[in-house]
Amino acid sequence: MISSLHRIITIARNTLTESVRKKVLNVLLIFALVLVGSSVGFSQLATPGLDSSGLFDAQIKFVKDFGCGAIGLFGFFIALLSTAELIPQELHNRTIYTILAKPVRRSEFLLGKFLGVVLLLALCVALMSLAFAATLYWQELQGLKTTDAAYAQSSNWQANSVLVSAYNHDVQQIVQQVRDPQLIEAIILIFAKLVMTIGIALLISTFATSSIFTIVTTFMIYLIGHMESTAREFWLASGANSSIWQSSLVGFISLLIPDMNSFTIVDEILAGNKVPWSHALNLIGYADVYLIVLLAVSVVIFDYREI
Amino acid sequence: MEIPASQMSTCLPLSWRLRRATLVALLLGLWAPCKIVWEQRIAQEQDFLRYHGVTMTRQLRDELGQGLTIGVLSGMRSVVADLVWLNVTTAWMNNDWWKMGSYINLCTALQPRAPVFWDMGGWELAWNASISTLYDKTQPNELRRIKASRFWIDKGLEIYLRGIENNPTYWRLWNDTALLYDQRLKDYRTAAYYYRKASELPNAPVYLERFSALMYDQHHANDDQAAYAEWKALWEWLTPEERQMKIHEGDRIESEIRRLEQKLSVPKEKRVFPN
Repeated sequence: MISSLHRIITIARNTLTESVRKKVLNVLLIFALVLVGSSVGFSQLATPGLDSSGLFDAQIKFVKDFGCGAIGLFGFFIALLSTAELIPQELHNRTIYTILAKPVRRSEFLLGKFLGVVLLLALCVALMSLAFAATLYWQELQGLKTTDAAYAQSSNWQANSVLVSAYNHDVQQIVQQVRDPQLIEAIILIFAKLVMTIGIALLISTFATSSIFTIVTTFMIYLIGHMESTAREFWLASGANSSIWQSSLVGFISLLIPDMNSFTIVDEILAGNKVPWSHALNLIGYADVYLIVLLAVSVVIFDYREI
Repeated sequence: MEIPASQMSTCLPLSWRLRRATLVALLLGLWAPCKIVWEQRIAQEQDFLRYHGVTMTRQLRDELGQGLTIGVLSGMRSVVADLVWLNVTTAWMNNDWWKMGSYINLCTALQPRAPVFWDMGGWELAWNASISTLYDKTQPNELRRIKASRFWIDKGLEIYLRGIENNPTYWRLWNDTALLYDQRLKDYRTAAYYYRKASELPNAPVYLERFSALMYDQHHANDDQAAYAEWKALWEWLTPEERQMKIHEGDRIESEIRRLEQKLSVPKEKRVFPN
């Protein structure tokens, strides 16, 4: 057991090192960091002049949306591209033969590869989150600066208790929105969704003959996953109105494809609404169980594959 | 049973592979119904928490166009809504109020639980569009201008009210509606109602508490009885320490209650300030 774990960790470390050296992923990461940083500019473009009146709700929302959007989008690309290349590249370079010739189980090889990509993704998400936090902090400083300037226009405002209370309220609103602990919940949920994507891509890559096939198919499943809830509702509610073919198709989709749409709950967090941790943990649990199923199927398919 | 190292890689015994395959098939068979039940529970929970107010419809898809629709379907609903909001800003700069109105509707349809869109959308229509049309010299007469202005006020009000329906605990929307009734529609009683509701919500600034009382005073609704009741309610809401502080500061609550008690000839035993 311990030796098996050791082999998995060694493969994971190797996969991580290889992936970090890939130029495409580095470029993607740079683009992601630039996009997260430029969200401030975008927010000011969308709400021109609002900073002067101290209405920061909109600007902070735009920064949050774009920051988390960039983490989700580029995280998806990084997860997809790095996973899709795992097995085909090993086959192309013929390195898989030397690895499997050693006392390494195929399942260990696959799990090691999976763990390596998850570590890579965790690293990228952590870096993007840091950039996101820095952007939000800059937005907070801007907000506080503008609020100070707005109140400084009224002379001796600190002596007026109503103005002092209004100032404190404005400052509290800005700080509350920027330092929202729910943002951690949002990033964890984005990460869970991305790890699910890795699981899907890994499953497809176990039987795919090219990376392009894996990329396209995973992308399609990702899109369909956002409509799975609609298919499920239709399937469960369908009676005499639908044909057997329609019902079978949506039933097949519902049973097979994961519900990615549930993870768009992140939008609610970004809009400032409360999402209880119990609900987020429920979603993370769902992603974990789905991942176990995906990995189990991947291992079986990979076992049968002729190499 | 440990597998011999020589058999570990490419050639697992057939019995092992079959056993594994059977186990996974069983796992899949068990997982499928569990998955549906679990997803249904998550969906119910999300419905209960009032998320995903609007589903993707054909009309919404046509309005968004292909690119943005893919964005929504990829789980980027909030980013798509923000991108659509850029069009609101452009339409506002071009004074293209109809286009601006339809983009605002699109944004609020995409993210009904983002109060910012209702807040800013209502303001754009009820204030920017209505005031701009009020001074629109291309209109042949003032009657037309007033009519057009009133039209946009109503549109903005509609946005605020729909926003309140979707986000009942966001104080700013109640405050915006009150401000509109107060400053544009001159309906001070309704404004007082909305100010009162806004002041009772979480995160509302404390100064809002007295706005409902102000709405009833001589400069607005001129209803001394209602104004007195509001000021009195505010006073009773304060703790004894806060009351002492207000008296010390010569706060408006105290002076208004004294003035109205005098004016309405409230019997001494019923007065807040008998002296």
